Amino acid sequence: MKASSKAVKFAAARPLVVTIGLGALVSIGACTAPAADENAEVAIDPAANASVERGRQIVLHHGCGDCHGGFANPDSPIWMAGVMGPLQEFAVPLDFMNPSFAYPLDESDPSYFVTRPRNITPDDETGIGRFTERQIFNSLRYGLRPEETPDVEISSTVPGEGNFPPVPRYLAPPMPWTAFRHMPDQDLWDIAAYLKRGVRPVSNEVLESEGPPDFWASFYADPMVGFGSYPAPPFPTEKETRTP
Amino acid sequence: MRTRTVSLALLFAVVAVGILLLTRPSLSPTPDGSSDRGSPTADIPLSSIVEGDRFMRNVSTEPGTVHVALVAAPEHMALIDGVRSDVYAFNGRVPGPTLELMEGDRVTVRFRNELPEPTTVHWHGLSLPIDSDGSPLDPVEPGEEKHYTFTIPTGFAGTYWYHPHPHGATTSQVTKGLYGAIVIRAPDDPLPESFSERLLVLSDNRILSDGTFDFTEPTTAQGQIDFQNGREGDLLFVNGEITPTLEIRSGEIQRWRIVNAAASRVYRLAIQGQTLLHVGSDGGLFEHPVEVDEIVIANSERVEVLVRGTGTPGSSTVLETLPYDRYMPQTRPADWNQPRALLTLRYSDEPPLTPEVVPETLRPIPYLDPADASATREIVMAQGMINNQLFDMDRVDVSARLGATEIWEVHNIVGMDHPFHLHGFQFQILDRNGVPEPFRKWKDSVNVPKKETVRFIVRFADHPGKWMIHCHILDHEDQGMMGILEVTEEE
Repeated sequence: MKASSKAVKFAAARPLVVTIGLGALVSIGACTAPAADENAEVAIDPAANASVERGRQIVLHHGCGDCHGGFANPDSPIWMAGVMGPLQEFAVPLDFMNPSFAYPLDESDPSYFVTRPRNITPDDETGIGRFTERQIFNSLRYGLRPEETPDVEISSTVPGEGNFPPVPRYLAPPMPWTAFRHMPDQDLWDIAAYLKRGVRPVSNEVLESEGPPDFWASFYADPMVGFGSYPAPPFPTEKETRTP
Repeated sequence: MRTRTVSLALLFAVVAVGILLLTRPSLSPTPDGSSDRGSPTADIPLSSIVEGDRFMRNVSTEPGTVHVALVAAPEHMALIDGVRSDVYAFNGRVPGPTLELMEGDRVTVRFRNELPEPTTVHWHGLSLPIDSDGSPLDPVEPGEEKHYTFTIPTGFAGTYWYHPHPHGATTSQVTKGLYGAIVIRAPDDPLPESFSERLLVLSDNRILSDGTFDFTEPTTAQGQIDFQNGREGDLLFVNGEITPTLEIRSGEIQRWRIVNAAASRVYRLAIQGQTLLHVGSDGGLFEHPVEVDEIVIANSERVEVLVRGTGTPGSSTVLETLPYDRYMPQTRPADWNQPRALLTLRYSDEPPLTPEVVPETLRPIPYLDPADASATREIVMAQGMINNQLFDMDRVDVSARLGATEIWEVHNIVGMDHPFHLHGFQFQILDRNGVPEPFRKWKDSVNVPKKETVRFIVRFADHPGKWMIHCHILDHEDQGMMGILEVTEEE
């Protein structure tokens, strides 16, 4: 398990640095020019904006930009815009559940598949503009791809129950939704509010992630694999202790 | 084409039931008797069915009236050589018998469901009253009957098809054999009768060595692929046969009507060494023939092509389907990039004919003016959903006024093609991804490739009611990638 997550990180971290220095900044320029009246005076709803601003804080301190673009700089032209070039992609070993897999990475090796951080700006065509805040919430809480999960309230983690899809479609690795799902409801709603209402849309088409067909039945979701379950077991578990 | 070899028992049963039912004056009279209808009270004996017949038999003697009987029933017959399968068949035949009609015909189909489950018969692409559409809202229970009645309007000459449409079970029923063609002819057809017609109903399947259909559980790797792509089969059928041989004479011109009745396979048709004259699509002939190298035909779409016998006597060539990448990267079948032969086209040894002239003008297609549109609607297709929702029988997704002309923008926001089908109303494509459609044609289904947008114009001229809009990958439809358009008379 340790070895495999390292491989995912290595594969990504190396190219990310290179890309942002070279191509990405150039390629985005044309897409981001705002319409002239977008900064005009509008009535501000303080409650709605409180949620958006909290969402921004969470997005910053969770490092969303490390993969989705812009690192911790909301003023970056690629902020939340997703993969701009092949060097931002992740190469995930097919057998990365197997701790004995081989490193270093050979990109021509068919035992790797490519996943791509998506454009999570609210662009209608290429981003998350067509999904509701509830679909964003469900993707962070349950790891469910908004493209394949209806806009409904989900009340169970058992497929087929409580509106949980009978055949769930999960986000591609290494999106760490198994950790994010433990955030309080309001935090997830705030992230959704920020991504939908606090970020300007960027038109950037990101190709579908690849992978073996059964990665849809994500290993993340298998409690045997070790990513834990939701909700987390009560404190303290056998490996935890209360302060005497 | 496959027919049952042992069908006496069922034939007797059908005849017996027919005689019993004949004593009842009307089985399921339709309340509305408007002039749009055929004759719901017509006597259509089920005994008129000839098992295995290629065509539905018209028992009406009245000109302009077509009365046919259709039974869906389980059968045990061979779809591939050497092994029998438990299939579902219309009138003992896979594919079902062809319904041949003329424009203006008043049609009544007496349908009986002998299946162990509810079903419907959807008359794909036709303009008809809502209660004859065979939609999921109108199931026919096992042992029950329904009269489907409709009149074929002028201008609807073309190639259509019929298939079951019960919610959640369309894939399995079509896969088990319930699909058949409809051919509607016009009295003023511009193509010469000397162009001999061929009907090619395309389908595919996966059948295990013991004859059972290979349906998968979504929890398996192949099940994931089937769930995402829709179930494709390695066996490619043309009229129920695998790579049949079709004869043509040098110099001859044949008119092929092709139906894609496959649950999810998209065909990219080409004949090796020849071009095709594309003359029609879903709603019939174009205004002019178009010369093409290949034609992509998505699920439920139809094409009409003229095949010209440009080969030499005694030679042969192949109609094949070329690779077409409608898939997500994860779900591409291993052999997706391999061309597959559909049929052998063999040139007879007879001396060449002098080719006839193909008319340059076929028929006028009315212009629908976008300036007349009273609404522009966005339909967003994601994987398994329309407008972020799964199908709900009790929810209306889109409401339109009777008589309104509308522009629909159909967006596909995911990385897999989705063929969009609108029940009850034919439309004209305006543009695809902003590129204007080169010429007008009538459509009822349009493939929306991955991440693309298709805009079309449609007029809801008649037939108020709740009409289905859905992805015609049948697995997706069953999963709930369907919505309801309600056309209302009220303001």
